[in-house]
Amino acid sequence: MAQSADSGNKDVTLLRQMLEIESLSGQEQELSAFLVGAMQARGFSRAYVDAAGNAIGEVGEGPRPVVLLGHIDTVPGRVPVRLENGQLYGRGAVDAKGPLAAFISATAQAGPLPGLRLVVVGAVEEEAATSKGTRAIARRFQEEGIPVACVIGEPSGWDRITVGYKGRLLADFMAEQSAGHTAGPRGGVCETAVLWWLAIQAYCNIYNVGKAALFDQLHPSLRRIHSFGDGLVERVEATAGFRVPPECDVADLRATVKEAAKAAGGRVRLYAEEMPYRAEKNTPLARAFLAAIRASGGTPAFKVKTGTSDMNVVGPAWGCPIVAYGAGDSSLDHTPDEHIVIEEYLRSIAVLAHALRGLADEKP
Amino acid sequence: MTATCPECDAEIILTGKVLVGEIVTCPECGTELEVIDLNPPQLDLAPQEEEDWGE
Repeated sequence: MAQSADSGNKDVTLLRQMLEIESLSGQEQELSAFLVGAMQARGFSRAYVDAAGNAIGEVGEGPRPVVLLGHIDTVPGRVPVRLENGQLYGRGAVDAKGPLAAFISATAQAGPLPGLRLVVVGAVEEEAATSKGTRAIARRFQEEGIPVACVIGEPSGWDRITVGYKGRLLADFMAEQSAGHTAGPRGGVCETAVLWWLAIQAYCNIYNVGKAALFDQLHPSLRRIHSFGDGLVERVEATAGFRVPPECDVADLRATVKEAAKAAGGRVRLYAEEMPYRAEKNTPLARAFLAAIRASGGTPAFKVKTGTSDMNVVGPAWGCPIVAYGAGDSSLDHTPDEHIVIEEYLRSIAVLAHALRGLADEKP
Repeated sequence: MTATCPECDAEIILTGKVLVGEIVTCPECGTELEVIDLNPPQLDLAPQEEEDWGE
């Protein structure tokens, strides 16, 4: 057990303060400024807000950068901040202010480490499809030099390490036709959207034959369907999303979605594409985490996730050892019951600090 | 350096600079294994892989 789970703990106070500052995507300025002050107060050698609006803190001057990349924005939905029965409630408690607060606390605890420059990033707009903050960080380190390791701040559970995320593709369908009487022989415009959806669903069903693991399946979801008209023209719009597994032929998926739209009598726009990413397990970073979890009394396991994270952006861009790590149960992401167990949060800080020291001990 | 697969008893040759915590795959049964000791070389089942939804 790391420390007692009381509200007077400075690491708990940091997270509570972060939760009390609302930070929807695109409205993160107040929290960025707060984090710069918090990192300065904890002895970070540099703390600043970059041009994208990311809050960044650095510890150490070594030639080998290690990036701890969390995000500071949240989805909407105010969850009253409160500490109850050792659980801290608030929007972003697990997704992902908890993991980011743990990055700040663990980096301060680990202090300057030989050879390393620890860079904590609180990125903006992760919950928006733009991933503006992370794309700016990805470009920066492509220019400055690729990090030796990266930890993404997302909930994995304190004794779990996430090593893979599925990809994503979104598709907006639209069709229109002249208005007609429903007693007539022609189908309504809504039927075109249904035909499109059934065609892409059938494509996914065929792809998934023989694939037992969710991580390996191509999962479609119909997110929105809406019809409207002005008496002369009737229109239908629909949005479908795809969770894309690593082995999927994305070019074929794109072509199928477009062809199905054309066959149904509509057109489609594809966007928000993120490639799936599976990280290498056999790295100094993964080894450091396995050792750190065991040193804290846990039995580590790896995780692969059906969602996306900033690993999908920086993983392919950097190609460096990478994992996602953070306390919390990701099934609470975006829910009205979002909370983090304080004991687990404190354990994650101990694991992170131990892992960073272990990484410094690995010779390049 | 050689070690025994705890799953199928196959003898596995460990090449290069072997490290504690390294993950290797048994060429006989395909099981992922972790190097848990070097003196003598010892392998155990690697941490399992779980699926989870969300971010």
